[in-house]
Amino acid sequence: MNQFHTITAFIKQWLKDFWGICCHEWKLIVHDGGVLIIFTIGALGYPLLYNLMYKNGVLEDVAIAVVDNADCSESRRYIREVDATRELEVAYRCATMAEAERLFQQRKVNGIIYFPKDFGERLARMETATLSIYADMSSFLYYKNLMMGSHFVMLHEIGEIQIERYAAAGFTEEQSMQLVSAIPYEENNPYNRTFSYTIFFLSAALLMVVQQTMFYGMTMLAGTQREEHHSFALLPSHLEGVGIGRVVLGRGFAYGLLYLAIGMYIAFIVPAIFDFPQRGGFWDILVLLLFFITDCVFFCSTWSSFITRRETVFILLLVMSPVAMFLTGFSWPTSSFPFVWKCFSYLLPSTFGCQAFINLNTAGGDLTTVRPQIIAMTVQGAIYYLTASLAVYAENRFIRSERVQRVKAKRKELLRRLKVEI
Amino acid sequence: MWQYIKAVAIRELRIWMQRPIYFVGSLGVILFGSIFFLTFFKAGLPSKLPIGVVDYDRSSLSRNFTRQLDATQIGEVVRFDDFRTAREAMQRGSVTSICVIPDNFAADIQAFRRPTFTFYVNGLYFVGGSLAYQDILTMINLTSGAVQKQILTAKGVSEYDMMGRLRPIYIDVHRIGNTMTNYGVYLNNLLLPGLLQMIIILTTIYAFGTELKYSTSRNLMEKAGGSITNAVLGKLLVYTLYFTAVGISMVCLLYVWLRYPLAGSIWSMMLNMVLMVLACEAVALTIVGLIPVCRFAISIGALYSVLGFSLAGFTLPVEAMPPFLQGISVIFPLRHYYLFYVQEAMFASGFAGWYQEVVHLLLFLLLPFPILLRLKNAYINMDYPKK
Repeated sequence: MNQFHTITAFIKQWLKDFWGICCHEWKLIVHDGGVLIIFTIGALGYPLLYNLMYKNGVLEDVAIAVVDNADCSESRRYIREVDATRELEVAYRCATMAEAERLFQQRKVNGIIYFPKDFGERLARMETATLSIYADMSSFLYYKNLMMGSHFVMLHEIGEIQIERYAAAGFTEEQSMQLVSAIPYEENNPYNRTFSYTIFFLSAALLMVVQQTMFYGMTMLAGTQREEHHSFALLPSHLEGVGIGRVVLGRGFAYGLLYLAIGMYIAFIVPAIFDFPQRGGFWDILVLLLFFITDCVFFCSTWSSFITRRETVFILLLVMSPVAMFLTGFSWPTSSFPFVWKCFSYLLPSTFGCQAFINLNTAGGDLTTVRPQIIAMTVQGAIYYLTASLAVYAENRFIRSERVQRVKAKRKELLRRLKVEI
Repeated sequence: MWQYIKAVAIRELRIWMQRPIYFVGSLGVILFGSIFFLTFFKAGLPSKLPIGVVDYDRSSLSRNFTRQLDATQIGEVVRFDDFRTAREAMQRGSVTSICVIPDNFAADIQAFRRPTFTFYVNGLYFVGGSLAYQDILTMINLTSGAVQKQILTAKGVSEYDMMGRLRPIYIDVHRIGNTMTNYGVYLNNLLLPGLLQMIIILTTIYAFGTELKYSTSRNLMEKAGGSITNAVLGKLLVYTLYFTAVGISMVCLLYVWLRYPLAGSIWSMMLNMVLMVLACEAVALTIVGLIPVCRFAISIGALYSVLGFSLAGFTLPVEAMPPFLQGISVIFPLRHYYLFYVQEAMFASGFAGWYQEVVHLLLFLLLPFPILLRLKNAYINMDYPKK
């Protein structure tokens, strides 16, 4: 019976401390304008802004110039067909290459297609005719459009010309079709049908916003506490040095709950506003969010214990935003990461969280699809929980020894004065 | 006036000695970022991308196709027994694409039944997806060509005549400014200056903001002889020299040491860099003048400088964005740096090509004037919340 009482009393006290620490942290957040800016403009506003920015993720009708020295029916047909593609628009027809180059330099066009004089002749002689394209590489999307537009037309034209030639060589239509497209192919890009920049970028960016804003907010607060000579990790004084779990979990819960709301806004509401594909199940994504946010909380707790001044957070660590973004593998493929950076990427929750979100939300997988990432986040979260606890422990040891020393110094000082007075 | 400026500059240097964040911190961040991006994209173009193949046919033709695909520089084949497991692997992101070779593929080709070859690409991993797409498409066309060639040889068509039939049109591609489609060249040219603009804006805001935060601004004004112009010039002198040196080293790193393609002159790129440094400092000063509270100003500066990467327009071009954002893009110095860079490094169009960007970047220098008075009041009265 007695034991039962001690246990309930312990649980009661535990919950009380936990709740007190959590509320204290919320108070700190609400009273700090800088953190509120990050949490409101950063976490709530940026997902909207990025969606607006990348709303039309498909670049259409890139302006190109055409220099047609061949001036034959084939080249004219080619130009017409290029103009009709979604990717390209023939904005200028130039008489000379010099003229086209000038337009290129003035950036009125982002590409040039050049037909040499013998283009038609070579086709008539049944040889290979060459045409040249000049691509603006200042953005790879211009290049991609120019390549795709001109190649689609080329493949189509090749088919037409081949059929003509086989017909001339005495093949029947059926035979020449069999030759020309011996292997018809069907291409599918199920998750991002038009290779839209929006879908590819935002799938990775949305959860990145969760991690980064939480990180900056939490580290800024820890820095402020240090500056004001508090500690970010003071234990409740009646506990005499135990109760690290309460501090870590209490602080974590404050951010966890806040970010569960922000995370749900980012993962469910923002995509719905912008008609962004949401192919994953609601509960699956919610489970993913829970794992990811828990992992992020302990990750931020651990690293925030190294911060001594608030503003230095941005100077030293804002660089991590683009770095972490590339480390998710959304652009440069994970299989081509240099070894060192691959290891480095395992330190960040976003590496797993963003990949899992891409696979779950946009590729329409289920929880079994993201099992490796969930396991990785669990392991990572557990390790970061231990390190965060260790940091609190070390901090308190340090504070206590400092306090003891201060008391000792005071006593010495008093003794000295006493002696003088004596 | 000069002695005041000098006094402020010396005071700033003394602050640097006390707080390593200004010099060691910012330089360390730039070095870390540069090393990261330069080593990350070192390969230039990804290779050995995992491409899944589901071979239901298991004929010599399909095995040959798989081997050929595996032998390309871009692809590396991962074999799957059925489509389901392959699809799950693609959903997990562990393969970039899947090729499905149907049953009786080889037999159908021999009998001219034209079997359909199906492939799937994961467009969520952009670079990997589009490169794998290209690779597979090339392989199909080559296989299709091989089939044609076999038949034409059997019909007795000569090798010379065959080329014209197999490939009537050939496209000769010239990539201006980046001949090798090197991702490192494409991105690092802007990511490194992007990093620099971020650090400049944050450090400058911090330098001016801490005077308020630690209530040292009156001391600063004393040193400056009561003139805000002297105070600002003295402080900025130190930062301008420092960041210009970093910027010019960056230009040398990119175009001299790493030999990134540069069609124009390196001196113009240095000019571009110096102008961007000045413009960023002006923006930072304006932010801290508008909001003379260190913690707000630095949060705003962080949010602003991160946006610069997207709105510079080197990934998704600005003209594809909604019109009101196209307008906003001009308030980012990195946007003008990018436009200048395109003119000089890619097209070598010289002064006529980039003078507008010079004007734009210089216009940034006018920004701080309206807020100088406000900053002066804030510095003297110290009547803004420190928190």
